[in-house]
Amino acid sequence: MEAEHAKDTWKDWFEAYGPKLLLCARQWTRSLADAEDVVQEAFVRYWRHQRQLPGDPQALLVTSIRRAAIDHARRESRRAVREEKADGGLEEREAFFAPQLGEAAERRLEIEAALQRLPGEQREVLVLKIWNELTFEQIAETLGISPNTAASRYRYALAALRKELKPVHHG
Amino acid sequence: MDESLQQLEDELKSLRLRGPSPQLVDRLTDELAAETDELTAPVRRYTSATNLGSWKWLGWRTAGVAAALALAAAVTFVAFKPQPPAATESPATLAVNTPVNLTPSTPSANQYQPVAAANVLYEVKDEGVVEIDGGASARQVRARYVDTYTWKNPRKNASLKWTVPRDEIRVLPASYLQN
Repeated sequence: MEAEHAKDTWKDWFEAYGPKLLLCARQWTRSLADAEDVVQEAFVRYWRHQRQLPGDPQALLVTSIRRAAIDHARRESRRAVREEKADGGLEEREAFFAPQLGEAAERRLEIEAALQRLPGEQREVLVLKIWNELTFEQIAETLGISPNTAASRYRYALAALRKELKPVHHG
Repeated sequence: MDESLQQLEDELKSLRLRGPSPQLVDRLTDELAAETDELTAPVRRYTSATNLGSWKWLGWRTAGVAAALALAAAVTFVAFKPQPPAATESPATLAVNTPVNLTPSTPSANQYQPVAAANVLYEVKDEGVVEIDGGASARQVRARYVDTYTWKNPRKNASLKWTVPRDEIRVLPASYLQN
């Protein structure tokens, strides 16, 4: 009974936060499959050993995911270089967002493409702020930068997106 | 932030994120189910140190009691430290150095007393095979903890918390079976 309760608890938790964590992991990995590996590693570690730690669990998990992604990248670097040479590029990422219908689908693709064109350092701040709902202080701690730098990157990212998306939506 | 940026921010927030694949959920279910099985198994090698049934609590109780005794001894020593003859020290200075209520009948009224000792195991890492004395093989396992000790002064309602990371390395002799 208790075991079943525990399982439900982690499933509930993961259902609520899993998509955010996955999007976060996608910023630091080469593919959806790698991102899921990283989320699995970080989430299991969190659930087993870090649940009792004080602080915001979302921020803790984001930090854990980033570390797992860096470790994963180190392990996979040789294989990745080989694949990159074979494939001719790194374009194996898949959609960040859930599919939609009609005009919304077109708009989603535009936003996604614009996000992909952002510099990585701006995109990761945007993702952590918008979809993981971290504060600039938490983002700064996670990325090892100052809160002011995090806020600046966020503003630059939004401004760049507005510029890219203006003809369609904001014109 | 101007209005157009705010609109863009709202639009981004409204996008529905792609969820993890069912395969990932299955993998997590398998891994965390194994954890549940492990928790219910009679013999456990690594479990959360917050579990009162864990053998590690024995060590922690001992460590906690030892730390508490050491602190109590230190505080008592300082509090009852013999003072030089009164002629060389003013009453005010004496009051600062020696609490006025310190009498043998109430030695702990204004002292910090240990109230809690806890630890959290947050990572266990198998660091692979190492060679120990005699050339035998062993597995080295590193367990990482955060230890927290708390003391309270009931009179002042003040508390002191000491948190420290700790690594524990275990070397487990390994043997290889020949077919």
